[in-house]
Amino acid sequence: MLGRIFTPSLIYATIRSATPILYAALCASITQQANILNIGTEGIMLMGAFFGVAVSYLTGSWLLAVLVAMASGAAMAMIIAVGHIKYQADNCAIGMGVNLFAVAMTKFLLNSVLGKNGTFTDPNLAGIPKLHFGFLSGDGFLNTVLNDWSITEWFVIALVLLISFLFYKTAWGLRLRAVGRMQQAAQTAGINVNSMKYQAILIAGLIGGLAGAHLSLGYSKMFTESMTNGRGFMGVAAMYFGAANPLLTAVGCLVFGLADSVGARLQPFGVPSQVILLMPYVVTVTVLAISLIIDKKRRDARKSSLVSAGVK
Amino acid sequence: MKRFSGSLKGVLRILLILLMAMGVGALIILLIGENPLEAYGALLRGAFNGKRNFGTTLANFTPLLLTSFAFAIASKAGAFNVGVEGEVFLGGIVAAWIGINVHAPAAVLIPLCFLGAALVGALWAFLPGALKAYWNVNEVCVTILMNYVAQFITSYLVSGPMSAGKANAQSDYVQVTLTQFMKPSSVNTGLFVAIVIAAVMIWMLSRTSFGYKVRMVGTNAAFAEYTGISPRRVLIQAMMVSGAIGGVAGCIEVLGVHGYFLNNFATGLGSNGMLAALIVKCDLRTVPIIALFLGVLKSGAMGMQQSTGVPKSIVDTITALFIIFATMETLFSFNRANRRQKRGNPDSKEVKK
Repeated sequence: MLGRIFTPSLIYATIRSATPILYAALCASITQQANILNIGTEGIMLMGAFFGVAVSYLTGSWLLAVLVAMASGAAMAMIIAVGHIKYQADNCAIGMGVNLFAVAMTKFLLNSVLGKNGTFTDPNLAGIPKLHFGFLSGDGFLNTVLNDWSITEWFVIALVLLISFLFYKTAWGLRLRAVGRMQQAAQTAGINVNSMKYQAILIAGLIGGLAGAHLSLGYSKMFTESMTNGRGFMGVAAMYFGAANPLLTAVGCLVFGLADSVGARLQPFGVPSQVILLMPYVVTVTVLAISLIIDKKRRDARKSSLVSAGVK
Repeated sequence: MKRFSGSLKGVLRILLILLMAMGVGALIILLIGENPLEAYGALLRGAFNGKRNFGTTLANFTPLLLTSFAFAIASKAGAFNVGVEGEVFLGGIVAAWIGINVHAPAAVLIPLCFLGAALVGALWAFLPGALKAYWNVNEVCVTILMNYVAQFITSYLVSGPMSAGKANAQSDYVQVTLTQFMKPSSVNTGLFVAIVIAAVMIWMLSRTSFGYKVRMVGTNAAFAEYTGISPRRVLIQAMMVSGAIGGVAGCIEVLGVHGYFLNNFATGLGSNGMLAALIVKCDLRTVPIIALFLGVLKSGAMGMQQSTGVPKSIVDTITALFIIFATMETLFSFNRANRRQKRGNPDSKEVKK
């Protein structure tokens, strides 16, 4: 049984399941660095998924579709930004508002623009191309593991490195983290706090839109109502797991991806489909809880017994 | 007098926001080539015209009242419980199981169903509550992911061990039901149960020591701790009360509306309840009005879709806009000085971690 589950193709299956979550996690990480919890990740992603499919179907260009999806994600993020920064909206409240708005709006647009209910798919839909390297085809192992990834699956690796670089090696990243760590100090140092927050949310929106486009055009080639299915929140969980550090966050996403793809391979062994479907969620909650419990223990241990009386 | 003018401003603010959301909705309806006035008219007729429509509105109101209170109670203690939907599902399945398998007179069996549903809802909410209280694990994330788990568990049960063997995934009929008093609509005596629970919750929060503790922990947990209240315990208790109310909502839907557990029956009940609570910032006295309003929208949407070409998802879009505008604290705040101070001076805002 184990031999049938843990095959070389599981490596790609894991990466394939992890990628949409990883994009979502990056979306959440960027705002988290500015101390803004991005509950709206799910909605941003869902909007991107819809516009990806709609534009791809109407124009036949996957690249244009991805760009429009990113723009739509940015537009959703701007609702959060304006609400949160300008009108003092509570993060969780406006985030959930955006999520519900995305569910309703995509359902409405699916019905009125594409004329479908529930699911939309079409043979003319231009998906994100998959890369096939001829020189790898000869080797059975490398062929299974590295060939036929979609472009966005390669791109996410670059994006993780790019964002790590941005956070920890650039002045912009330092300012962003300063805003997140202590707003007043950042302001005193001459950083425009609100502008930094807007920038962070905007970039998060672009990535969230890309997450959606990848989900609907790279991971699958269709749009279904509420197709994100909690992936945005898994991304937020992975962000917590990695404490908004892109590399650690990516590790969290791979764990979730592994759970998902191992689950999918249990079906032939008579495990009920619902049990398989709920596994990634259980794993996510468990991993999130354990990582934060360990983190808290470590922080408590580091605290001096003298100071801890005064610090909550 | 001051208090009166304050609440008047609050009402005016909500009305303005509603107008704004409906305005955007009207624009969208115009864009798809329909008449917004006709659509909104059809919506009102769909909600109030005739016994059937009005009954359906009340039937929609029942679970929304409970789920909005469930959300609001947890929120008073500072927890953002998005997991009410999962608690409705689990409360429903437990009520169905008891209603099918336990043999007892109705006077015993019905309370037993309610108790079982409340208990499982409370236990389900205990987990995210404890995780938040002791290790600061974000409850939004945990509860929303647990919703999927609850949905899949019930879905497995009604298509497997508890299946009635019909085309739809559903359980057998329960032996006891709540009386439906406005047939052909499904509004049932559960409505009164919901109203009583809502009244008890308002009383509990404003008049009992537990309610006082909840409000204190929600407003300032550190202060509560200094006065000898354990914020952790109170948070967990508030989450469990919230979960129990969610469970009861599931029980009413199963015993009162369907008579069996229908797969995925609770989809949207939790999130709509959350909307109702968030729109009025969890003010328990006005939450019922918004819950009723959402019930009107829900049943009206069906009528609108049938008599005009406007899909009912537009109503969900408008409610979502409603909530987005409503969460923007300083939008239509009418308090110029306050607003200027807030906007011009970010230092005044407490930095949250």
